[in-house]
Amino acid sequence: MKKDEFLVALEDILQTEDSIDVNQNLDEMEEWDSLSKMAVMAYYKKNFEIAITLNDLKDIKTPVDLIKLAGEKIDD
Amino acid sequence: MISFNKEQVYIVTGASSGIGEGTALLLNELGATVVGIARNEERLNAMKAKCKYPENMHIEMKDLTQDIENLPQHVKELKNKYGKFSGLACCAGVTAVQPLKLLNINDVQNLFNIDYFAPLMLAKAFSDKRNNIGEGASAVFISSLAANACNRGMAAYSGAKAALIASIRSVAKEFALQKIRFNCVSPSDIKTPMQDWIKDIVGDERASWSYPMGLGEVSDVANVVVFLLSDAAKWITAQNYVVDCGVM
Repeated sequence: MKKDEFLVALEDILQTEDSIDVNQNLDEMEEWDSLSKMAVMAYYKKNFEIAITLNDLKDIKTPVDLIKLAGEKIDD
Repeated sequence: MISFNKEQVYIVTGASSGIGEGTALLLNELGATVVGIARNEERLNAMKAKCKYPENMHIEMKDLTQDIENLPQHVKELKNKYGKFSGLACCAGVTAVQPLKLLNINDVQNLFNIDYFAPLMLAKAFSDKRNNIGEGASAVFISSLAANACNRGMAAYSGAKAALIASIRSVAKEFALQKIRFNCVSPSDIKTPMQDWIKDIVGDERASWSYPMGLGEVSDVANVVVFLLSDAAKWITAQNYVVDCGVM
């Protein structure tokens, strides 16, 4: 999956009306709540077959960190 | 007294007939703007001709069982056209009396498409905060007493309607923090075109049911739906209101 494609998916998960920048601080977004985190976990499982945990998400600051979690599944 | 203003926009599905029509007309009468969705243009126009404020009654033709996966996209387009929605009344549905020996999976799937999958995807579409007004938004789904009564020949219909109640309860919990409400209303037999059709099929058996207050009328259900959509019900969510004059 392309990075831009993932960012669009992330906008849908967060249901944000603004576009998301890869370096955006997610903790500053009210949309980045526990349900969104659950949705990200489900998204990774379904699309990348990667099982991430809430613990993995604890240190996530930006979409860049999320993309790193996907390893080779998301490329530039 | 419950009232609305025209800046409050409500989607009503199944708006051309029965409970959907009654709900659309009542919301419009109380001042809300309504986007009525149904398959049949002629009947939608007939509904619109009865409404009190035609300038606040919009109609959209759509078969909700076509391309269910993309219902959220459809609702997004409606939002772009009419603005963010204050509420959703999901009244479209079909019923079927099918003894188990006649049941086939295609019929069950078709029934679930309109009675379960489409409402669930509409809930998803409505809950998207890009499509609703946020706090105070409210969605009501018409289930059926069949979800509890589970009479003979109603395996598929009872299953779909019970599934809807369970799912909407979960959805309600997902959105309670945002103060967006989701409830079900479960009517028993109501005098509607859909019910006439059932009566033709089950005949005397259903006719022998005892309704101490008589058969329900559309307004008996629409009043509950509109109450749940209104701010008067602002602390009510994840409920299933049975409207059956106590027969259950």
